Amino acid sequence: MNNALKIFFVCLMLISPIIAGGGGETNKELDPVYEAISHVADSMKITKVGNSYEAGEISALFTLPKIYGIDFSITKHVFLLLLVSFITVTSIIFLVQRYISSHTKVPGKPMNFVEMIVVYIRENVLKNFIGEKYYREWAPLVYTLFFFILVGNFLGLIPIFDFLGFVNYFGSKLINIDYHNTFLYPFTKGGNTVTANINLNFALATITFFAFTIAGIKKYGPIGHWKNFAPPGLAWPLYFIVVPIEILGMLLRPLTLTLRLAGNMMGGHLALIIFTGLVMQIAQSYNSVLMGLAGASLFSVPLSICIIFLEILVGFLQAYVFALLTAVFIGMAVNVHH
Amino acid sequence: MNNPLFVVSPGLYIWSLVIFLLVLLILKKYAWTPLLDFLDQREKEISDSLAMAESAKADLEKVKEESEKILNEAKNQGKSIVSDSKQKAEDSANKILNDAKAKSDEFVLDAKKKIDVEKKKAIKEIKEEVVGLSLDLASQVLQRNVKDEDNNKFVDSSLKAINTDEAKS
Repeated sequence: MNNALKIFFVCLMLISPIIAGGGGETNKELDPVYEAISHVADSMKITKVGNSYEAGEISALFTLPKIYGIDFSITKHVFLLLLVSFITVTSIIFLVQRYISSHTKVPGKPMNFVEMIVVYIRENVLKNFIGEKYYREWAPLVYTLFFFILVGNFLGLIPIFDFLGFVNYFGSKLINIDYHNTFLYPFTKGGNTVTANINLNFALATITFFAFTIAGIKKYGPIGHWKNFAPPGLAWPLYFIVVPIEILGMLLRPLTLTLRLAGNMMGGHLALIIFTGLVMQIAQSYNSVLMGLAGASLFSVPLSICIIFLEILVGFLQAYVFALLTAVFIGMAVNVHH
Repeated sequence: MNNPLFVVSPGLYIWSLVIFLLVLLILKKYAWTPLLDFLDQREKEISDSLAMAESAKADLEKVKEESEKILNEAKNQGKSIVSDSKQKAEDSANKILNDAKAKSDEFVLDAKKKIDVEKKKAIKEIKEEVVGLSLDLASQVLQRNVKDEDNNKFVDSSLKAINTDEAKS
């Protein structure tokens, strides 16, 4: 009974984006691409121009005044960012503090998982790449990056906003008001994975960039660090090639970090929403809800579940890769080998 | 290019920077540093207790060796004690046996002497008896009484003869 309820709930969550997206507008042609894009994008107006989609103005959840022309409004991704931070901070501090202050010193299951990762990263990443001497200084950054991205990725797998859309649609139907006018409506469209947003990822990558630059400067001094771009012992004409390549490599590192994470998370979610969108398309092309449900049971739900499992793996892997690369870059700046 | 999936929004960028740095600072202070210290401490405790166990093992080995040594010594001592006491017992048994033998020999000798004396006595008595009887027989045969003097003379001479016979034998 319990399991059946769980499965029902999961299925409900899986198809909730469709209901939220296309809710009720029976006479309007549903556009799966639009739904997919608005699922992944931040909260903004999206308009179709020819065959492509263009981002319109931001439709924030809470509009804040602009400072120096920068819009600090709370969009869905800012909201998710706050949520991810809150979950990361509270859960990890709770687990760690409970573990440390416990008398038995025996970790519970969640703490065991955290400890396993912490020890694994320390032994295989931090000590390996940064070295015994300096790793303590950079360990908090690597750990925080890992858990922050991990929570972000996993939170993206829970269709919070889509489920809110589902609740909003049926709730407003129940009390007989237009679902566009409810207070929940701004929360109901898209924007699931905060780690699929290049702005956030670029912020994290910027921190990584400054981390490895600071690490190098701390070790070799403000001049010595930059001198490392020109490895000694080369014929002088080679420096004209090597130095630009090294500098370009350094500048590209945050960019690759950003795009790798964003691309992975976005791709997974697009695949997820497109498979889920099959329901919509089947229902539309056969003009019957029954066919849509059949399609859902035959294709969408199994495929979506597979993609979700894949996404769990990818989410974990990408968090690890981001943390690993941060450690590698810091290690490269600290232990210069020529 | 105005792709909705790749919108550059400085607001979110700055939000992310600030919030992530806050998260980093909070977690560094309240989670990672204490956790790493705790792990280090626990690892140290484990290695310490392992070292302790190692030394305890070595101690145990030592004690075992010592106890074995003591046991061996005790065994040897016991063996020597047993063999000593065996020797002693044998000696004393031999002594007792010898004493008993000597005593019994003495007894036998004594008894033999006594028997000899008794024998001699008896023989002498028998001889006297025999002489008396033979004298009686002889006087009856002779039908006359030999004079006492003669009688005595004869008795003495025959006793002498017997004695010499005896001495010879």
